[in-house]
Formats: sequence, C-alpha cells, structure tokens
Amino acid sequence: MSAIDDLATELAKLPGIGRKTALRLTYHLLKQPPEQSKRLATVLAELSDRVHRCSVCFNLTEADPCGICRDGRRDRTVICVVEEASDIGAIERAGEFRGVYHVLGGRLSPLDGVGPDDLTIRQLTERIQSDEIREVIVATNPSLEGEATALFVQRQVAPLGAAVTRIARGIPIGGDLEYADGVTIAQALSARRAM
Amino acid sequence: MPLVVTDAIVLHAFDYSETSRILRLATREAGVLSVLARGARRSKKRFGSALDLFAEGTIEVLVRDQRDLQTLCAFDVTHSRPTLASDLGRFAGASALAELILRFATDERQVSLFDALSRSLDELALAPPDETREVTLAGAWRLVGELGFAPSLDSCSACHADLAIADTLPFSHAAGGVLCANCARLHPSGRTLPAAERARLGAWMADERTGKMSDPDSRAHQRLLREFLREHLAQDRALRAFEMWEHAPWSRA
Ligand SMILES: [Zn+2]
Ligand SMILES: [Zn+2]
Repeated sequence: MSAIDDLATELAKLPGIGRKTALRLTYHLLKQPPEQSKRLATVLAELSDRVHRCSVCFNLTEADPCGICRDGRRDRTVICVVEEASDIGAIERAGEFRGVYHVLGGRLSPLDGVGPDDLTIRQLTERIQSDEIREVIVATNPSLEGEATALFVQRQVAPLGAAVTRIARGIPIGGDLEYADGVTIAQALSARRAM
Repeated sequence: MPLVVTDAIVLHAFDYSETSRILRLATREAGVLSVLARGARRSKKRFGSALDLFAEGTIEVLVRDQRDLQTLCAFDVTHSRPTLASDLGRFAGASALAELILRFATDERQVSLFDALSRSLDELALAPPDETREVTLAGAWRLVGELGFAPSLDSCSACHADLAIADTLPFSHAAGGVLCANCARLHPSGRTLPAAERARLGAWMADERTGKMSDPDSRAHQRLLREFLREHLAQDRALRAFEMWEHAPWSRA
C-alpha cells in the first residue's frame, strides 16, 4: 500500500470520516509545508503518552489526580456521575456545578456487550464508602440506556447513605412547546416543580 | 429509488458522526433495516426523541437495493417504551429479544414476526419486576416460532408419533423437540421436559398467558432456550444481550 493509502485508511477509521473525506484530508496535508504534518504527527504521538484517566474520577487528564479533583474550592461532598469524560466539558461550560465528577466510561448496553462490570461503578461505590459524600447526581443521558444505567447507579449507591438525584429532563431553553414531541412533553410534565 | 413507508421499531442505535446516528430497525414490510438518520443528534426537531431504543412508529426510508445502509427520511413515533428502562430485568429482556431479531431475521417482509416483537415488547414494558424473565421467555419462544423453528411438543420430533400429554419426555435440541421412548435411545439428549413445562412452552408459543413460575423453573427454561438457539440459530456466535439477560449481573449483591 502507498503512503497516501496508509494515511487515508487510518483517517477513515475516525468517526464520521468516509473514504472520500480521508483522501481529501491526505491530499490537503501533502499541500501543506512538511513541518505542518510533522507537528501533527508529534502531537498525535504524544496524545496517548500524556493523557490518562484520573485515578479518582476517571476524567481524562495529563496530571493525576485531574485538575477538578485537585481543586480545593470544589465541593467534594457532591459527585456528578456522567457517561463519558466529554460530558464533563459540557457541564463545566455551563459554569453552574461546583462539585466533583465520576466518569462511568459508558452506559449499560447489553447489545454491545456492555454490562455493570464494564463501567466504573465499583470504583464509585468505593469512593462513596471512603469519602464523606452528601449527594450523587446521576447525569447519564436521557436515553433508554442512560436511564437504565441511572437506575443501576441508584440501586448501588442508595444503600450507602448518600442522597441520589437525577438531572431533570424536558423542554429545552429557547424551545417551542408546539414542536416538542410527546415523550419530551410527558417528561417535562412529570418533572414539573412548584413555583 | 423507491420510498418505503412502513411501521418500524428501533432495536439498536449508535452515533455515526457529530450530527448523525445509525439505527437498526425491525420493520413490518422490509425486515431488518440499517438506516442513517442525518442530523438526528443535532436537531430534535427532525426526528424528535424517536430515535431511542424500542420506540415504534411509521418510517419513510429510501431503499436502494445494493446498499447496506439506507437513508431515513422521517420517523413518526406512535409509541415509545420508556418503562423498559425502569427495571433492569425489563431492559435486559427487551435487549435479548432485539438481539434475536437483529441476528436471525432477514431483510424480507415478515409481518407476523414484527407484530410478535411489538406485542412482546409491550408486555415486557408492563411486566412486574418479578415476572420479567417469564415474559421475556414467552416473547423469545414466540419469535423463535415466527422465525420458523417452533419445537415439536406433542408428537415425537423424529418419528412424529403422538405422545401422551401427561408424561415427562426427553427433549432433543438436535431433533427439534420432544422424543418418544424409541427415538430417545437414538438421540441421547440429556434434557427432559416435564409435562407442566411442556404445556407452558406450548402456551407461550400459542400466545396464551401462563401462571407464575418458580425461580429454578424459569432458570431451567433460560438454559433450554439458550441451548435451542445455539443448536438452530446462533451456531458458535455469542449472543451477548441474551447472556447478559440470563446472568443478570445487576442482581448480584
Ligand atoms: Zn479527577
Ligand atoms: Zn419417535
């Protein structure tokens, strides 16, 4: 195989990149000054060397524990449980949550062979047993698999004494009731609050 | 290229890109289809929450013959099944049923198979937590029957002699059902099926309600079903969702 084919084959393994796009990116790199490609290669090679899982919360980090786990201003008595490390970024951008996180590493999905032992639920219960945890907020996705995972987390955590809460679901801000589907409206109604 | 409009149930869904998802659907008119739902992750307006597992509705899909992946144009959900996530036995059971269809159904029109799946998922969505195993067993055998592998329960599966209803009988996976005493000598099977459990299996296949089962009985039925599937359908490929349903790792202390 040629060097062009080699790179295109690797690029095409990335999510959302087909063979055509992979070839386009390859030819684009060939048009750039060689230093540009070398820089990309170095950064890629360093990625897996430098980025690891936080030993406390399983966030992706270069330092262990991660910046959030080390930050003394954060409330360590509240843990927000998410499916993936990328979900932390989304919650942090909102700037509302001041507790710490726990990354499950996925969600229960029998069809994909993902069961309880494939997630970091045992490590979560160990954290709760060894630290003073007041509340566990379950922020898995509002999909069927995310809900089943949330239920499993709740079953494991509730006996340990921490309060377990679930993020609310419903009509998005700036959304329009008229265009919301029935399932979303039903969820929003059942999660209503006094005002 | 033809636009196909048919009822469909989401059996498996995964992200394809920043904006799109791939769905594997059981359909009434076109068997199992893999479809690309463009923009499904970005905009809820396009497909609503339709793209969740086990949701059912009417789809419009562009079907091109030579393709593995078809294009989903619309999905109008008539009902979703959120209660399948409110109990892990229901969730695992529904996943096991979905796996049977994904693995063994073809891309041909199979109306009664689709209807049996829809009904089984509905029953599971309402099943009391201590009956999910039984409801899943009933649904799975119903699907096995619709797939053309119904076991013989009241006549010998080898010589077709009628058999006494009240007897405990040897059951051979290879022969495809119960055996008379003569044929049992030729097909050493290792399983016997008491009359009551044979009647229960028959009731499941006939879509009739059955009484509550003991835990050992329902576990024995899980083993029987697993062995039967391996013999007739799965060959050596693992059934991951089925295994998870059978072992129920969430119920461990
Ligand atoms: Zn951390
Ligand atoms: Zn016989």
